[in-house]
Amino acid sequence: MFGIEINPRRLVNSSLSFVALAAIIALFFAYRSHAQHLIAHNVPVSIEHLPYYAFCSFYRMLAAYIIALLFSIIYGMAAARGGLYERILIPAIDIAQSVPVVGFFPAAVYFFVALAHGSRLGVEMAAVFLIFTSQAWNMALGVYEAVKTIPDDSRGALESFGARGWLKFKRLLMPASVPKLVYNSILSWVAGWYFLIACEIITVGPASYRLPGLGSFLWEAAENGRNFDLCAGLLTLLAIIVLMDMIVWQPLSAWAEKFRYEFAASSGALQSLGMFDALAGVGPAVMRAIRAILIPPMSLIAGALNAIPRGPQLSPDQSRRVGAVVRTLVIGAIAIFTAWALVRGLVALIATLSQPWPSDAKQIPAAILASTIRMTIAYAISLAWTVPCALAASESPRFNRILSPIAEIVGSMPATALFPVIVIFVIQVTGGMNIASVLLILTGMQWYLLFNLLAGVNQVPEDLKEAARAFGLSRYARWRKLILPAVMPSLITGSITAWGGGWNALILSEYFVYKNQTYQVIGIGSLLDAATYKTGNGVMILLSLLSMILVVLLLNRLMWRRLYNLATERYRLDY
Amino acid sequence: MALLELKQVSKNFAHANGTLQVLDSVSFDVDEGEFIAIVGPSGCGKSTLLRIINGIVPMTSGQVLYRGRQVDGINLECALVFQSFALLPWLSVKANVELGLEAQGLPLAEREKRAGFYIDKVGLDGFEEAYPRELSGGMKQRVGFARALAVEPKVLLMDEPFSALDALTAITLREEMLDIWQSPDMPVKTIVLVTHIIEEAIELADRVIVMASGPGRIVKDLKVELPRPRDRRTETFNAMADKVFSLIEERG
Repeated sequence: MFGIEINPRRLVNSSLSFVALAAIIALFFAYRSHAQHLIAHNVPVSIEHLPYYAFCSFYRMLAAYIIALLFSIIYGMAAARGGLYERILIPAIDIAQSVPVVGFFPAAVYFFVALAHGSRLGVEMAAVFLIFTSQAWNMALGVYEAVKTIPDDSRGALESFGARGWLKFKRLLMPASVPKLVYNSILSWVAGWYFLIACEIITVGPASYRLPGLGSFLWEAAENGRNFDLCAGLLTLLAIIVLMDMIVWQPLSAWAEKFRYEFAASSGALQSLGMFDALAGVGPAVMRAIRAILIPPMSLIAGALNAIPRGPQLSPDQSRRVGAVVRTLVIGAIAIFTAWALVRGLVALIATLSQPWPSDAKQIPAAILASTIRMTIAYAISLAWTVPCALAASESPRFNRILSPIAEIVGSMPATALFPVIVIFVIQVTGGMNIASVLLILTGMQWYLLFNLLAGVNQVPEDLKEAARAFGLSRYARWRKLILPAVMPSLITGSITAWGGGWNALILSEYFVYKNQTYQVIGIGSLLDAATYKTGNGVMILLSLLSMILVVLLLNRLMWRRLYNLATERYRLDY
Repeated sequence: MALLELKQVSKNFAHANGTLQVLDSVSFDVDEGEFIAIVGPSGCGKSTLLRIINGIVPMTSGQVLYRGRQVDGINLECALVFQSFALLPWLSVKANVELGLEAQGLPLAEREKRAGFYIDKVGLDGFEEAYPRELSGGMKQRVGFARALAVEPKVLLMDEPFSALDALTAITLREEMLDIWQSPDMPVKTIVLVTHIIEEAIELADRVIVMASGPGRIVKDLKVELPRPRDRRTETFNAMADKVFSLIEERG
């Protein structure tokens, strides 16, 4: 089953999509020269600006999230239409997901700074874009899955009445997507915070640019050893995350339950924070407020949309034809734009790679090996504590109730904010950057694994657990025969996301500048960082980023996807 | 002229290795006001046939004529009742019933009036604001009937409407639906019912069409001449049931 049979068509498809991705990345990097106009900018950091910084970080997150939300609804629903849409859009997401966002960040800064003629707006746009890329893909896949799994009969019931367009969207597609959209939104915000903190400090060649925000505040406080400011900053962040959970995610999750099909198993949504039950009444009030704000403009838009086809009284046949023309125009425009970007990207890619390669390029294979070993160690550590935790949660509902909310809070805290503290501490204690680096990778990996495992454990049907107990299976036998097989698909999904998070963390973890001193270990992340921030060698940046993406893709295709298919085939709970 | 004419309707499904023929040249007519039951073993394509008549599943070859004309796409003069109820869990009873009316673009006041009338008709008065998950199986199917009746279709298509209910609920609902069908203020008089329960078919229908599977085809088209209301315990009823049973048995 692990014999690597190579399907030539798939090989060609994969290679072509990798080249397309490389071209698009090269296109972004082609704007590198423009970034030199960026003026170094350091906001004075002091505690009285903290609320302002918190606000800046929050609005960046919110802007990115709103774009990601709209994108994911359009993209997911288009992909769920099937046919050519599905065959192009779904592999495209697969490829996009394998780009370590952090590695791509400098390219985004170049591009947007060029777009905004060197002003701060460009950097803001780059930050928002980066957060968007960390949020959008899982949400789009969630919408796609939700629409794809709408029962045939529900679809048939609407279609048999001739319901199409806006009505179908409002009554069927959108409501069916709500549970997955809410669940993925929570995950996206966690991922977003992680990257937000990392992308508020931008170093482009010699110029370092700091966006006002919590990330730059924390970083500076840690760098200058101002522990009071550091604690104040962390508490502010914690407060924002807990408040968001209480007044937005909890009520939304409760509300989303309404949109679930009865026979569908619980999605294993994150357990709500039991400790805040006292505030339960806040939830419905917030929901009412959100609806009061959203419904009037939505129904205005709906009214306007409804009015359009009724004006000239188009026959169904005519309106179908008008729809087809509009669709062709939009898709044509997108296709032309994509083709243009690909051609320009290919030119940029060839131009960059035909320059003489630096001698550092020879280090890439060894660096990849070293990084992969570091990732594997971090993954092993993650498994070593999350699997026992999940098993314990399956045994004791009480432990589950305590663990879930704590994990959610701690996991939502962006570890990137603590990176300076961790590095300084570990280096002082052990003197080794290698240990620090594995620790930092761990922070980007472990929570995905834990969340997915807990969701898997919550999905094990109660009657199966009862049956196992009724037949007198020992605790060990229960784990081996029931719990572990049942969580296998969740474990694999969690592992894929954990490795994705890990590659991102890796770029931040292998190369660290603190008080003008550089700490680094051999690895693909440190090669990329050194090329980006020190030497500024364009060939080297592109080479290390592309080889990293290649490794991610190969691991996904050759290992994780096979494991996933195997796990869902054998351990699916659909008796 | 017959209300519905099916001419040589065939359906193939694309399969992992090749195609699977589920319907092979099925032809029959449905007259206005007729109650037709299609009986057959599971997998004979009878539910697919119903969806082809409605137009939500395209046929591979053949023709379905409505009042002598071919319908392009979905036939809005038909309404479907599903075995699985197919209610939208996020909509109240009233909103579910209004679904078809909303698709027709009726104004709100008219929608509410009609939905209220049919909810009342199926005996769900007082449950307008309830959600499907709060209802029992029998009540859910009542919503399913109200939703289909509310669009005032010319043909009511029923796909095993009583099969997901427990035996007692099924008996009650079957009788009530028969009453609604026979009451003078019901606009829909033509019904095509798909079922695997032979007694149900004979009890309700004017004509029973017996199908066999692999691929699905018609083996017999029987008129039911028994007087209504029909009693399942009579000899003639049982003789007919036995006949249908042996037809399915030998071709199954």
